[in-house]
Amino acid sequence: MQELAVKATNVHKTYGSLTAVNQLSFEVPIGICFGFLGPNGAGKTTMMKMLFGKTGRDGSRGGEISVFGYDPKDRALEIKFFTGIVSQEDNLDQELSVFQNLMIYSRFYALPGKQARHFIDNVLAFMELSDKKEFQIRQLSGGMKRRLLIARALLNNPRLLILDEPTTGLDPQVRHVIWDKLRDLKTQGVTILLTTHYMEEAFQICDDLIIMNKGEKVMQGPPAQLIDTYIEKYVLELLHTGDKAAIPAGEGVRAEIMNSRVLLYADDFETIRQISDRFRAGDFILRQSNLEDVFLKITGRKLHE
Amino acid sequence: MNSPYKMADLGPVRPPGFFQRIYSVWFRHIRVYTRHLISNGFPPFVEPLMFLAGIGLGLGSYVGLIEGNTYIMFLASGIIVPSAMFTATYECTFGSFIRLEFDKVYDGMISASLTVKDMFIGEILFAGTKGFFFSGAVLTVVAAFGLVESGMAVFTPFIGFVTGMMFAALALFVTSFVRNINHFNFFFTGLITPMFFFSGIVFPLDNLPEFARWLAAVFPLMHAVRLVRAFFFNSFDPWLFFNLAYMILFTVLFGGMAIKRLRRRIVN
Repeated sequence: MQELAVKATNVHKTYGSLTAVNQLSFEVPIGICFGFLGPNGAGKTTMMKMLFGKTGRDGSRGGEISVFGYDPKDRALEIKFFTGIVSQEDNLDQELSVFQNLMIYSRFYALPGKQARHFIDNVLAFMELSDKKEFQIRQLSGGMKRRLLIARALLNNPRLLILDEPTTGLDPQVRHVIWDKLRDLKTQGVTILLTTHYMEEAFQICDDLIIMNKGEKVMQGPPAQLIDTYIEKYVLELLHTGDKAAIPAGEGVRAEIMNSRVLLYADDFETIRQISDRFRAGDFILRQSNLEDVFLKITGRKLHE
Repeated sequence: MNSPYKMADLGPVRPPGFFQRIYSVWFRHIRVYTRHLISNGFPPFVEPLMFLAGIGLGLGSYVGLIEGNTYIMFLASGIIVPSAMFTATYECTFGSFIRLEFDKVYDGMISASLTVKDMFIGEILFAGTKGFFFSGAVLTVVAAFGLVESGMAVFTPFIGFVTGMMFAALALFVTSFVRNINHFNFFFTGLITPMFFFSGIVFPLDNLPEFARWLAAVFPLMHAVRLVRAFFFNSFDPWLFFNLAYMILFTVLFGGMAIKRLRRRIVN
């Protein structure tokens, strides 16, 4: 029997008349990376915060949360002791150096000084920040700060890591380094929960994920399976289509017409390739469908804010 | 929900105890403060110097004896404690607001195994510690002027400690309401500055009309001044117990309300 790290049952959260999280349930087995995807305002961050008591859930609806058997409602202290938390905003101590940030933080876990120094060296080396040890926070780039936030979350050897949009706004190199590190941690048995709106990120590192919209779970599954289940295998993107009436659809082809583009979806590659033959190179892109196609199909293309 | 899974058991999880957590918060503030020890330690020594020289010596020569003491003695005994008030108030208004809204320091701290209560009790204790050292600094300057007569004066920084905690609690309570950092001006101009002038520091309250004396007793600084003067001149009266009780009660009351309100702001 596999063991669970996190279990949420019918969790509900409202802010006044706004429902941020609506009757959400999910289970996270130990040692996997579990993702929350959704547009801004979908309730991802709120859900994360409820897991460690930074936000209280609505009590009246009878929802339940268990993190390794602890309920954040009254045992947040224990949860935070074995959980590393990386929030969306940079909340490093601007007044301290990299080393001092970690040293002060290790005291919040009551790590003895010598052990703390040892752990600090380890987490800095792991996040490839060893040479920045004596830097002031304002000397760090955005990518370094983010890596330091992750290093800080790793100080107390967490069993669970909660990351709220860990790579938003970072360059591709840093993103790939962070993904690598998260995969590493997973192999060490750390359970990872993360929110993201990068489909690529979810596809790369999540074993299981939930797509949320307006506080509700829209679908759940491993990324590849979601693509299999919810969208055709291939996409033909037609660019600069002048006459939209002349769009060739047909048997087994679904068309989505937008302002300046037309997207054709099909499961059969030959069908869609033949359509593409009618267009000049450069006027179309023929590709496999991806998680982003699923996401946009499910949550719609309209702006959510 | 029927689940094929069972919840994993981590074994015993023992986060640090209450006092250890408070200490770690206190230590964070001390660490940050002492990084700029020279620039931060400068004012508490220089300000009383200017006060004593400018007002004590300058104005003092026009003023007769107050309660049997020269004016400079009266003033010297008075200015030991407001330094604790000012430093604690700045720390827990502008300082706390910046930690709360701009630097997000509390959000960072609360992600470790700390509670909101730990953070603010630690902070109030830190403000008390600052109050202790600021009062001590003023006392040092006063002593350098040769104005200390009783050995009991060495205990005045402890009153500075209580004063620092008391004003930290009040300041945090005010901060819990403030959404715009400029609004602290109302608090400083409307309450802190008048308290400095009407708590028996620069002139005795005895000659004020009765209602003004009662009014001064409602505000917290006067009680701290009475206690400091008692130790400074080694002259005690039973009313001092009331003064001390007022300060402790005030700290607990406003500290409790501040923590409750700030919790709602940090945990939402």
